[in-house]
Amino acid sequence: MATDRCKDFLGRLDSWIAGERPAEAKAHFRDCASCQAVVEDLNAIQIEARSWRQLESEAPERVWTALRAQLEQEGLIRAEQPEREAAPVASSLADWLSAVFARIPRPALAGAYLSILVALGFALSGPVNQPSNEAKWLEGTRVVSSPISAQLDNFEQNTSLANRDRNPAITASLHQNLAIVDNYISLCEKSVQEEPENEVARDYLYSAYKQKADLLAQIGERGENVQ
Amino acid sequence: MPEAEAIRLAQQGNAPAFERLYRLHNRRVYSLCLRMVSNTAEAEDLTQEAFLQLFRKIATFRGESAFSTWLHRLAVNVVLMRLRKKSGTEASLDEMTEPDEESGGPRRDFGGPDLRLSGSIDRVNLQRAVEQLPPGYKSVFVLHDVQGYEHNEIAKIMECSIGNSKSQLHKARMRLRELLHEALRDKAREDRKAASEGSGGED
Repeated sequence: MATDRCKDFLGRLDSWIAGERPAEAKAHFRDCASCQAVVEDLNAIQIEARSWRQLESEAPERVWTALRAQLEQEGLIRAEQPEREAAPVASSLADWLSAVFARIPRPALAGAYLSILVALGFALSGPVNQPSNEAKWLEGTRVVSSPISAQLDNFEQNTSLANRDRNPAITASLHQNLAIVDNYISLCEKSVQEEPENEVARDYLYSAYKQKADLLAQIGERGENVQ
Repeated sequence: MPEAEAIRLAQQGNAPAFERLYRLHNRRVYSLCLRMVSNTAEAEDLTQEAFLQLFRKIATFRGESAFSTWLHRLAVNVVLMRLRKKSGTEASLDEMTEPDEESGGPRRDFGGPDLRLSGSIDRVNLQRAVEQLPPGYKSVFVLHDVQGYEHNEIAKIMECSIGNSKSQLHKARMRLRELLHEALRDKAREDRKAASEGSGGED
């Protein structure tokens, strides 16, 4: 049963726990089961709480990745110039894309792919009305679209591998959706080969690549979030 | 790179210095956030926010207080702001305790000898009880009893007096004790119920 003496004692509990033992408090504590129980309980709480310190862990690496991206975006930190200057100069479009994709974080891939696709869009929107340009244009289309197609395939493999063990449902959905988009790309490529002068066919091909890029980038980002 | 050097370079926008400071302190900040919100995704978000605020303001750091104290003050404020937003209140930090509590004394019974916590406290039930603490109590409890800060440091982090820190801690511990006793009683009740149902089923 709580008494005024108990209240006095508990009011100075910090001192008691810190080791101060005034005679009056000592006498009360010796005779009061209620206050003994409080002290015992608080000690048990403290011991358990202290043990949590050993459980402290680093924040996941994605926190730093996101933080750094935010700091760079806000212009609070300078990019590491020497490292970038040391990067090898790519000799072909495919090598250049590999180098870029190897260095940029996955969430940024959506933007990177869109940039490529804008470039592809420019390449595919060249003059085609003149018959003499047709063969040249078709060859140009192959030169531009083949490495991009290869890069998309490469990224598809990496994304698929990265997500495979984490979530089988995502992997299954990934394969299903990519199969649809790949069929669509095949049809579009065939149309462009058959009718290189057809602007609509080129637009469809561009749209198909874009869909695949968007899908892969989304999957990549999702994989990043799952980690 | 020593901390002081990292701070100086970070103030000039040096990227590796930012990373060094992050690596030095992220563990404690993340743990603080995690204990305060009990949710890893939210704790990550809060850790990022705390460091973001730190790096935005780092140019103004003049070293009047320890860097870690400054960082923890930012982190605690970020967490309390989030908790405040969640609860939809606009209360000050001092009000983020239990308003009906007048003194540091216990509010209900002290618990009889048959209901001692010793031996029945584990990580899970203590964490559950901590989750139920008002944010102000929780901050002081986590900083003192979990992270090991002294009251003078907590006073700087929380921007309150040392006496206030002591008082909040006392109230936090007593409230935790109550919550743990409640949980213990609930469990005992459930066990009794399960036992009576079990014996009833055998008849």
